[in-house]
Amino acid sequence: MIRWILVALLLPLVWQCQLNVSEAATVDDGYEAHVRPFFKAHCIKCHGPDKSKGELTLHTLDGDLGSGQGIERWEVVLEAIESGAMPPEDEPQPNQAERKAVVDWINSGLRAYVEKASSEAPAETARRLTNFEYENTMRDLLGIDLNLIEYLPQDPVKPYHFNNTAEFMLLGPEQIDRYLEVARRALASAIVDLEKPETLKTRQDWDSGESNKGFAKKLNRNEIAIHNSRRGTPGQGMGVKEFPMTGEFRIRIQASAVFPNGGSELPLRFVMGYNLNINSSTQEVVPVGVVHLRNSPDDPKIYELRGRIENFPVQKGRVHRGKLQPDRLTITPQNIYDDGTLNDENQFLYWPRQPDMPRAVVDWIEFEAPVNEIWPPKHHARILFDSPLRQSDPGNYIRQVLTRFMSRAYRRPAMAEEVSRFVEIYNLLKPQLGTVEATMRETLAMLLVTPQFLLHTKADGKFIGHEFELASALSYFLWGSMPDGRLYELAVSGELNDAEVIAEQVKRMLADPRSEDFVSNFTHQWLSLSKMKTVPINRDLYPRFLYYVEAGERAGTEKPYIPTIRDYMMDETIGFVRELIRRNASVTNLVDSDFAMLNQPLAAHYGIEGVEGQRLRPVEIKAEHHLGGLLTHGSVLIGNGTGSAPHPIYRAVWLREAILGDEVKAPPAEVPALSDSAGDSAEQALSIKDLLAKHRTVESCNDCHVRLDPWGIPFEQYNAIGKYQRFVPKEGTRVRGFDRKRDNDLPGYAKYRDGINTQEVLAESRVPHGPEVDGMDQLKAHLLASRKHDIAENVIRRLLAYGIGRQLNYRDRYEVENLVSQSSKDDFLLQDMIVAICQSSTFRERTGNERKRDN
Amino acid sequence: MKHKSWHLDRRDLLKGGGIAIALPFLNGMGSGLKKAMGSIRNAAGESEQPKRMLVSYFAYGAYMPESPSGVPRSTGRTDDKEHNPWSWWPCKDAGPLSFNESSSPFKPLKDDISYLRGLDHAGGWKLGGHSSGDVFATGADMIGAEKTNNISIDQVAAQLHGHKTRYSSLVLGTEGGTGSYGSCKTLSHRGPGRPIPSLHKPQEIFNRLFNPYTGKGVEQVRAGLKRDASILDLVLEHSRSFKHRLGSEDQGKVDEYLDSIRALEQRVERTSKWTHQPLPDVATKGLNLEVSHKEPEEYIRCMYDLIYLAFQTDSTRFATLMLESEQSSNSEMWNYATYVLGYKGATHDIAHKRPVDYSGQWDQWRAKQHAYFLQRLRDTPEGDGNMLDRTVVLWGSAHPHASHSTKNYPIQLAGGSHLGVKHGHLHEFVGEKKVPLANLFVSMLNAVDVPVEKFADSTGPMTELVQ
Repeated sequence: MIRWILVALLLPLVWQCQLNVSEAATVDDGYEAHVRPFFKAHCIKCHGPDKSKGELTLHTLDGDLGSGQGIERWEVVLEAIESGAMPPEDEPQPNQAERKAVVDWINSGLRAYVEKASSEAPAETARRLTNFEYENTMRDLLGIDLNLIEYLPQDPVKPYHFNNTAEFMLLGPEQIDRYLEVARRALASAIVDLEKPETLKTRQDWDSGESNKGFAKKLNRNEIAIHNSRRGTPGQGMGVKEFPMTGEFRIRIQASAVFPNGGSELPLRFVMGYNLNINSSTQEVVPVGVVHLRNSPDDPKIYELRGRIENFPVQKGRVHRGKLQPDRLTITPQNIYDDGTLNDENQFLYWPRQPDMPRAVVDWIEFEAPVNEIWPPKHHARILFDSPLRQSDPGNYIRQVLTRFMSRAYRRPAMAEEVSRFVEIYNLLKPQLGTVEATMRETLAMLLVTPQFLLHTKADGKFIGHEFELASALSYFLWGSMPDGRLYELAVSGELNDAEVIAEQVKRMLADPRSEDFVSNFTHQWLSLSKMKTVPINRDLYPRFLYYVEAGERAGTEKPYIPTIRDYMMDETIGFVRELIRRNASVTNLVDSDFAMLNQPLAAHYGIEGVEGQRLRPVEIKAEHHLGGLLTHGSVLIGNGTGSAPHPIYRAVWLREAILGDEVKAPPAEVPALSDSAGDSAEQALSIKDLLAKHRTVESCNDCHVRLDPWGIPFEQYNAIGKYQRFVPKEGTRVRGFDRKRDNDLPGYAKYRDGINTQEVLAESRVPHGPEVDGMDQLKAHLLASRKHDIAENVIRRLLAYGIGRQLNYRDRYEVENLVSQSSKDDFLLQDMIVAICQSSTFRERTGNERKRDN
Repeated sequence: MKHKSWHLDRRDLLKGGGIAIALPFLNGMGSGLKKAMGSIRNAAGESEQPKRMLVSYFAYGAYMPESPSGVPRSTGRTDDKEHNPWSWWPCKDAGPLSFNESSSPFKPLKDDISYLRGLDHAGGWKLGGHSSGDVFATGADMIGAEKTNNISIDQVAAQLHGHKTRYSSLVLGTEGGTGSYGSCKTLSHRGPGRPIPSLHKPQEIFNRLFNPYTGKGVEQVRAGLKRDASILDLVLEHSRSFKHRLGSEDQGKVDEYLDSIRALEQRVERTSKWTHQPLPDVATKGLNLEVSHKEPEEYIRCMYDLIYLAFQTDSTRFATLMLESEQSSNSEMWNYATYVLGYKGATHDIAHKRPVDYSGQWDQWRAKQHAYFLQRLRDTPEGDGNMLDRTVVLWGSAHPHASHSTKNYPIQLAGGSHLGVKHGHLHEFVGEKKVPLANLFVSMLNAVDVPVEKFADSTGPMTELVQ
């Protein structure tokens, strides 16, 4: 059979038909009766020997699905015919019965093959931890939160793909080399030397006298205005010269806030690292945290922040006049109050141009490190625990220490022979390294480069119970980290592999703050969000969207190290998905919702009143806000724009990939590029609709773009910075850039904007296999009415693929189908969906070897 | 510009580490010094002179208004049309080089460079324009027979000659890591499916090259390495027994792991051996190692400076540098042209739109950075010539003008005059003269004493460039 197929591949169509006919006796009747005629009538013209559109040919598929030959292609065919995507709309259409006959025939064959194949070798799932998982695992294993990712080689990122698969998570000597370095670094912090170190303290006080330095004329010496770092005020930061290399630190401040003209909460952020006053563009700092000030100077309060000193960049001492200066850390408080008007009304954010804006008052800052309320610290005692054995039977003690640590690091009970190996390593190292602490650090560092720690694997059940694998599968899915004590106990007791218990655990895990890592990591990759941070915003058109350095050699570049609305937009999207899961809301909310996750700057950007403060919260929205769902999120709209204009193709690709779940192929080699995609500069306005229409007149472009462009047109109602727009520049006009002198204030900017945007935006489009929609509201209505099922299936597929750490293939088709139909019963509730995925057999699957044994 | 690029002060270099440091071949620095250094030897104690190679990649192709493929449409017919001043190709016709605006930074290097038109890797044809950069240094047939990427030209050389220097090769990129199939962030691969992650942080690169012991004494480092070697051996055994407990589908990944541990063991041994050679004492003065992507010119020059220093101290002889990638939308590299030229769009869009003004300026800017590096090599005397004479430098992209095309790459070769490379011409390989780009790779490898007859899909050496 196989040989015949190979021959057939090489022969012209006529010959091949004869071969197929001669074989007909061995082939299911349905193929000859329904499928082959259908292909001949509707498919072969474009997907045959003459043309292979979409790189798909059907004439070489034979009628025996049981052979597994071309099975992926059969799945593609099934989907295209079932969904009605094929044949194309402008071609003669088969009737319903014809369509159904073909769909049924493929379905039955495919299902039989999937059942047969899944008892055989399954897909590879062994992979190393992603850097994200590695850092989280180290945090939970060692009990200290260290930034480790920056010391590892970058993990690959691919738009709309999850990187937690075997294909992406390659291992090489460089990776292992870094693991060893990082493990040593982390253990140097986790295991301390026995002598308790002295706590070093630095403190600085500011009085309330009037400052008289430059811009800060009317600012008191203990006050910080917005984005202000005047000399002599706390905004300039406090230098710390005495601090340890490792350990926990504590920052305490006495602070309050002044609200001259309303407002009730001032976020005061602390960053630590280099001194930002030297040249902030090349200085490095890391945020410590934010305190929200609500108290007035009459009622000063003390606030406290903690962190690990290892996570902050130390400014190396330089040689000054022949003397080496000490290393330094600078703690800089930043007044990041933002009511959304700052950029509109205050070109210069410096005091005293904004006398009405809230100011922070900082009386003193105190820094202490290392802070050790108990000694030795908890994270140390967790590894080198207190025990009389330590003195009475050191050999046994070491074995116990290693058994405990290894059982946690390997996420399952350590085996005696594994422990013995590391006892051997310990004993080898001990004479060279001297103390128990030093030897244990090095021994455990080596333990953390073994494959049992670094890899996700499926062990043959003879050796290790599946329950532990299931515990890990759950914890890496929902926390991006190792199982906690509860999951581990359930695995030990053998209770975990039960639908009820899984449901209970999933709910518990989603309520745990660690699930925020899951939501953020999953959503970033699913929606391909990160590019929004790098899209260059056209400052001529949107002068007030970001904060720019006003003067000096770096004038015109973005201000570093202050949170901007782009950061808040990222929070908005992650927060929205998190809120939907928390509420167990329907997947339909992804398309449209009656609330948005906003804070004050975001609300001001989108034009919603009455939202105060920096904290993200659900806010009810109305039709006139043109918000709701993910499609109108600034993160999505900016990331899929050019920074000057919307980009209907990027947005269409995003909609199809992220929401509808289609795989949109990259443009093939040798196709001409779209000559101009909407406004490459502020200069020339172009009607995108006409441009796309022109593009589609070329057949090779049209094949793909006819199914793409119409989805992007309704998005034209949202501009390059994600705001709803009714008017756009007239086609062909020259658009003048914003004039800083003439259009300086808010009314001036409004006038400028109205001056260039004179044409009503065109957002009418007929979507493929759908109706005419005019704008975003109608597009959303169409998606909810006709595509809900596809959207739910997409979300299920994404969650499942992320959860099991591999790309789905034809074998998963029927499991997904089950999940979708189960979920459809209560309108696709998100939390229930996650529970069902964790209960599914695909998620709980075992190794191929074992299945074979059981069968 | 605020930070001056690094200027080598030879006296500074000789301080501290003393005369014994691995500063090779400073014949040009005067006879007094030569005497002081005794006989000139490299760090491995050999007296041969180094032969070096760099492969440097830029993304998105280049501006070639001649035609979408960059090869002039009119073949044979001489018309009077002037050569476009902003074409990436320095002159219109094959023959002795003359320089237009775009290539003007290379004018002073005329006798040390060649342009080669019409070359490409057949293995990259079907990869699509977003991915053909994957095979730039490998020529692998990723879509077809090989299914995966394969060994890169620098690693072929490193396998044979890498033991002669402290580091067998240096793999740099602007984004770091390996990337993934179809969107590589590195040019180097040690074999099928084995990409080598690129380093992209200047400070880290500097430390790894010149301060690998992180302040520890040599004795301490040596003792640590000895320990590592014995323990990695035990870890290896530990892992082998683990492998057999796994499902069959998972064992491949453990093999990947075991290979890595073995490679690490070899590296430990090698590092240990090199602790007997003093480290070069390289001053950081003037090197802005904290530079970020937001300052592309500073950043790229810093990367080039680091390669220069690695070569100059004979720390390694083979390097790759992936300056940009086609899939950089997650990095600041996406905005290069915005920062440098004030272009109001993503840098990638220039490749699609090819606006005359920005395209030309962008290409010229990229040429300037590369010329800076070549010039530094040429300004450094070595033996009876300069460093460039003994360094083969490939510079190019995996696309021509048309943004999604994967044929007819822009390719420039520089240096290696003392390694038998002939320069000063634009060569054209079109029509019947078409040969694989891999032919050039064969000749590059031969120039650095790697006696291969074949690389990827090559059909022979590139005789046009051989003296």
